[in-house]
Amino acid sequence: MSSPSTTAEVTGADTVGRWPLLLLLASGLVWLVLSGVLALIASIQLHSPAFLADCESLTHGRVTSLAETTFIYGWAANTGLGVALWVLGRLGGAPLRALNWAVVGTLFWNAGISLGLVGIATGDATSFALLEMPRYVQPLLVAAYVAIGVSGILAWSGRRTDGTFASQWYAVAALFLFPWLLIAAQTMLLWSPVRGVLQAVVNGWYVQGAFSLWLAPLALAGVYYVVPKATGRTLPSYEFASLSFWTLLFVGSLTGGRHLIGGPVPAWIPTLANAACTMLLFHYAVVALNLRGAFSGGSTALRFISFGLVAYLLGAVLDAVTAFRGVALVTQFTSFATAQQQLALYGGISMFLFGSLYFAVPRLTGRAWASAALLRGHLALASFGVVLLVVTLAAAGWTQGQDLNHAATSFADIAAHTRPWLLGVTAAQGILLLGNLLLLVNFAISVSSVCCSAPAENSFRQPSTMEAHAS
Amino acid sequence: MSTPSNQDPRLDQAAASDESLLAAHEKLLGKQPDEKARYKLLPLNLLFLFSGLIFFAGTYLNRYSGLFDPKIYNENELPGTGAPVAVKVDPLVLGKKQYDAVCITCHQGTGLGQPGVYPPLVAADWVIGSEERLIRLVLYGLNGPIKVNGVDYNGAMPAIGKVAGSGYNLSDEKVAAVLTYVRQQWGNTAGPITTEQVSAIRAKEGDRKAYVAEELLKFQ
Repeated sequence: MSSPSTTAEVTGADTVGRWPLLLLLASGLVWLVLSGVLALIASIQLHSPAFLADCESLTHGRVTSLAETTFIYGWAANTGLGVALWVLGRLGGAPLRALNWAVVGTLFWNAGISLGLVGIATGDATSFALLEMPRYVQPLLVAAYVAIGVSGILAWSGRRTDGTFASQWYAVAALFLFPWLLIAAQTMLLWSPVRGVLQAVVNGWYVQGAFSLWLAPLALAGVYYVVPKATGRTLPSYEFASLSFWTLLFVGSLTGGRHLIGGPVPAWIPTLANAACTMLLFHYAVVALNLRGAFSGGSTALRFISFGLVAYLLGAVLDAVTAFRGVALVTQFTSFATAQQQLALYGGISMFLFGSLYFAVPRLTGRAWASAALLRGHLALASFGVVLLVVTLAAAGWTQGQDLNHAATSFADIAAHTRPWLLGVTAAQGILLLGNLLLLVNFAISVSSVCCSAPAENSFRQPSTMEAHAS
Repeated sequence: MSTPSNQDPRLDQAAASDESLLAAHEKLLGKQPDEKARYKLLPLNLLFLFSGLIFFAGTYLNRYSGLFDPKIYNENELPGTGAPVAVKVDPLVLGKKQYDAVCITCHQGTGLGQPGVYPPLVAADWVIGSEERLIRLVLYGLNGPIKVNGVDYNGAMPAIGKVAGSGYNLSDEKVAAVLTYVRQQWGNTAGPITTEQVSAIRAKEGDRKAYVAEELLKFQ
């Protein structure tokens, strides 16, 4: 434990994993910018329907699916996997193995997404939320994901350290659970479709599962590692972290039924989801207690993570509140649901991933980020953009929901009432796109400097030993 | 504990090594020495919170799940409770359905029948007149000549009701509905015929063969 090679901040694990992990992170960032462009187009079409309406591939329905698919499977998946593998490698105490599998997997994963996007744009999209990619790419996605995951699983099973840490639980859970989710969902919806209303139930389960059992664990894997690393303090109330973890795993995907409130399903399905939403508050409460050190600020990563933490918790409270039927009466099937989704995915998951990314990349490249200005710009634009996006979407949704409940209000009036808010949504999408472009440029410069300049050996300070602080 | 002195935003310094991070957290999960006998409130509060959430979720589930009955779509309903809801069917709607299925071939959609073969129903004395006659005629059928509105017809009206030899076996409710329909359609304004009336007559007459017009004319 005291040998210099293992206590140095940039370890062999980072050097070995540099290019495979940077490939995952780079793919994620390219997809993020592309998804920003698509989301901007979709948003403009909501208030100016004629925009690109003549282009068959970019009609509103398709461009919305494209934006969503790129965001989830392109940005969040690639980046989340990159962060999870990195964390598993570092905490495993040995260089990552089977990285050639990860590289091949990454290439095929991204090829699969590209093919899926072409499929959606040319009219092969399925009718299921988050599962829009046509079924001919779905097996490829499963195989590619498993190939990427092999490296993480080997790092976990071959770890040379005593004990395990919460980051590892979340990362391994995400690696194992997503193939199961995707195989189960595509079997029941695309290959051998279940009948009638059961399809909506399965789809609701998958949509929630993809968030609760896949993206959230990937993001939490990163932040559970970065927060104590950056603050030098143990996580407060850490003894509850495992209970929180298992709560998420057990009840997380049960909350899927809340997407079906008001739909033609037996009452117990939404009711079970409401109960699960309440139970899940325990997971969020413990995450808040564990990660509250993020608010001590100071580092770039912690700024993103503290924003993400607020959004993640706020999203949980909103999910629990809107799951009650009296509230859902107004919010369900409106832009308000989109606001909740964006709060969780952009405000929560993505900000967590940004934080981990800003912490991980200097260790992978062995150099500091290229530009502090681009970095500050990204932080400012991303924070402001997410707030604006969520507030305008929520306001649009609430207006829309109130209007829709009055049968006398004509559809044209409803559209007119929401229009000012939808303009705000477009502005927010533009701001977010700009911010993400700054990140992509900063990333590109930082990574390209690896080839041209010698690493700054002394830029990383030797970390001291962490003291366990009682909460 | 050390806080990063270098505040360069481009490079987040680590304040702890990976090994010490793992070791410190592993230590937290182990048995804590409780030397000063300090009583920690937070873990207890969290356990209360967890139990409270389980209690709420369980109660909510019990109250609004409809006992997990697949046929309960309203969360406030329970299976098997409440009186069975009697579904009110509009006799005119039910009657039109029967008419279109059974009667329309002879009496036509216009209710005018076929001159000389099938008597009309529109403003027909037999239809808007005596209920006793009409119900019997339709339940058991009619053979031989009949004079409708002073015009002679000679055909065979089959038994429609649920009686022996009937090819249709319409329930009393359906017979009542179709009679109500023909008595209130095409400008006819006679009163409705109830299921009870039909049932009463069917019970009284039992199984019998089709009527002839003279037999029916005895009923007023």
